[in-house]
Amino acid sequence: MKMTQLFTTALAGCLITVALAGCAGGGNNDNNSSKNTNQSASSEKVKLTALVVKHSLTKDVNTMQWLNDLQDSVGVEIEWQQISADWDQKKSVLFASGEIPDLLFNATTDADYVQYQGLFEDLSPLINESATNISQMFNDHPEAKVLAETIDGKIYGVPRYRSVWPDTSPTMFINKTWLDNLGLELPTTWDELEDVLIAFRDGDPNQNGDTTDEIPMDFDKITSSYSPRLLLGSLGLPLSNYTQNGYFVEDGIVKNFLIDDRFKTLMIYLQKLYKEGLINQEVITQDYSKYQSLARGDGNIAKVGFTWGWESGDRFGNELRSQYVALPQLKQHSDSTHELYWSYDHYQIGYSGNAVAMSSKTKNKEAAMKFIDAMYDEKTSIEVLFGGMNDTDKGIKDNGDGTYQVLPPADAQLDPGTWKWTNSLADMGAFYIRDEMKQKLTLGEDMQRVVEEKSTYDQLLAKADVRINVYPQGFMKYSQEDINILAMNQANINHITDQSWAIWMTDASKDIEAEWNDYVKQVNNVGMKQNLEIRQKAYEAYLAQL
Amino acid sequence: MYQADAKGSKLNLARRTRIAGLSIWRDWQLWAMLLPAAIYIIIFCYGPMYGLQLAFRDYDFSKGITGGNWVGLKYFMQYFESPMFWPTMRNTFIISLFSLICGFPIPILLAIVINSIRKQAFKRIVQTTLYLPYFISIVVMVALLQIMLSPTTGLFSNALKAMHLIPQDMNLLGSSSAFVWVYVLSGIWQMAGWNSIIFLAALSAVDRNLYDASQVDGANKWQQVRHIEIPSILPTIIILLIMNMGTILSVGFEKTFLMQNALNKSVSEVISTYVFNVGIMSGQFSFGSAVGLFNTLINFLFLILANQLAKRAANISLV
Repeated sequence: MKMTQLFTTALAGCLITVALAGCAGGGNNDNNSSKNTNQSASSEKVKLTALVVKHSLTKDVNTMQWLNDLQDSVGVEIEWQQISADWDQKKSVLFASGEIPDLLFNATTDADYVQYQGLFEDLSPLINESATNISQMFNDHPEAKVLAETIDGKIYGVPRYRSVWPDTSPTMFINKTWLDNLGLELPTTWDELEDVLIAFRDGDPNQNGDTTDEIPMDFDKITSSYSPRLLLGSLGLPLSNYTQNGYFVEDGIVKNFLIDDRFKTLMIYLQKLYKEGLINQEVITQDYSKYQSLARGDGNIAKVGFTWGWESGDRFGNELRSQYVALPQLKQHSDSTHELYWSYDHYQIGYSGNAVAMSSKTKNKEAAMKFIDAMYDEKTSIEVLFGGMNDTDKGIKDNGDGTYQVLPPADAQLDPGTWKWTNSLADMGAFYIRDEMKQKLTLGEDMQRVVEEKSTYDQLLAKADVRINVYPQGFMKYSQEDINILAMNQANINHITDQSWAIWMTDASKDIEAEWNDYVKQVNNVGMKQNLEIRQKAYEAYLAQL
Repeated sequence: MYQADAKGSKLNLARRTRIAGLSIWRDWQLWAMLLPAAIYIIIFCYGPMYGLQLAFRDYDFSKGITGGNWVGLKYFMQYFESPMFWPTMRNTFIISLFSLICGFPIPILLAIVINSIRKQAFKRIVQTTLYLPYFISIVVMVALLQIMLSPTTGLFSNALKAMHLIPQDMNLLGSSSAFVWVYVLSGIWQMAGWNSIIFLAALSAVDRNLYDASQVDGANKWQQVRHIEIPSILPTIIILLIMNMGTILSVGFEKTFLMQNALNKSVSEVISTYVFNVGIMSGQFSFGSAVGLFNTLINFLFLILANQLAKRAANISLV
């Protein structure tokens, strides 16, 4: 024991001496020399600048111990520029100026590489040369490479992949306590749902003596994942990958649900529910924060009966969480024969592009690439996502037998989700979470609950097939001309569709059936037809690449 | 600001140049005071006009602003032929016209009322209270509207409903018929106090002798307002009206954008929000510049028109 102590002290002494010598010898008058002492006697560190677009909760990246350690081990020193708001607006100004930092984390889109040609470095040669971790990701998951490659085979942004997440984003929740209070069963069809909602409206299910404070049904905008568009799955319409702007694939054909007859059926149903006072009056005009806070109820009194969300703790808060259960997909009527679907978001959740990009003006590209690749290391990747494996960050525990455990929040005030977003780069970082991690990594309490809740839809999600009914929008490649056309048309389309569904739902005097054909014609005319053609072409090109 | 002496134009060129030189030499202090403003305008208003050529080019980042191919009026035509041309033009026009018609007279009335308050302390309190909303940021202002006008918990909308001024099931935030009113009235509440300052200044310059003389003639308060105060500030009113005409098609972006939602989009999609959606969010810079330039041209046309009309009618004009 004594020997060990002595030895440690001696070693530490040596290290400090060497480190100091290193500083002095190099004539290094760097202000951050305290940081440098971590690394003993190495050659001059490579200085890089980096921009990181992070969540507004996320702490200063300079205080992330694992990230500093990583920089030391690779031998780089990074000056971080951190952005957590309005990046979309700031971006065009920065990129148009032509002066960008060496590394850009979570800051670019495919369109940027087309729009700002020459600004970004083609990383494919560097990846082939030296990036073992990234190459491994591309081998294990060829889709990731397809996602990253531009139309002419260049890679400007390195994608990220994570295995441990579930395959769908939304869960449909219903308040089980309310159902029990009223002696009702879980609804299985749209018709039963309507009856349940009416009972919620009239029966004072939260038992506070006030029959007017219950909101039977609430949701986010219909363009969002947490909205009644999920009921399209009751009608045999396969949504997938967040279904941005309404595009989906059915039988290998790209379609848009906003002009699909089944959407009309849904709108007629919603119009009826709204007219009966079953849907929150402010459903369209409320902003996201109000939508979230409403479902958290008032103390332990729940206000919302039926809604959609990512996870019960996030949607209803810790106090009310236990009142809600995940509801399986509904049938339209008890005798309906439509195939049932649930939104299959694997591509959107598991993969995402452009985790990091490099400026073409970077001086030491090898060092920059080495740093990027180090983030894709098996162990470092989970640190990126859940926080560092050390006593300062307290994000993950290394069990020592090749398994790891996500630690509960060190700050007892925070819920696990908030803690993750505060303590790490979280989902906005660059990482490759290998498929083996599903077995090796014990997730936090919140994620375990997510996986369990989503298991309700496992059977429906198993129907997903990328060649038939899954549309990985983010993986499609377009030429600049096509990007221009798609953008211009989409603005025109949204102008019509946004107000149409909103007015149909809230104004009972509108005859959706009578207006439908004109509406579809109009939407097709302002560019939907053209957009579907362009997207179909790109989708087929994508399938050919797999 | 007023039209130069008509005789001036008849002087020969040499003499005019000499007079100009003389005036710079003689009044150099005045010219020096003008200098910062002139520099500001040259750098921040004339300088950026260099970028206007974007509207006529296919913008290509790698080639810079001047490098893209010259495409002439391609992007203007794209806008004129777009199905969004008429809706955005109409919405912009309606909002700004209402803002002008309802918003312009209020500060004048306010100034006359404030001016007639005798008690200095009370006058100051009223004035400051009316200015204050001007200093609220637009974002906060719209958040306030969201809270006050919420159909379920909103103080203001519930008050209106209790007085049966609006239907019981009306959602002021999500109604295409209410949008323009909410926009204009909240704008008046916010801006009227501030805009009345210039009229107050004009009123304070009215000769006291005129009031005394009118009192001798037996004029009451109303007659004083009609025959002394309004005519005295008429030139200010007309000049400001002309300048306001120059912004007839520029509806503030922030407020419209923040107040926009799916239910009121049919009336709230104005030129500036459309340019933002297409030009900035989708990176279509050339298209955005073209639409912006077109917007400015229309404004300029209105400015000239109003100026000419005022010149004919009252012989008051800019320049």
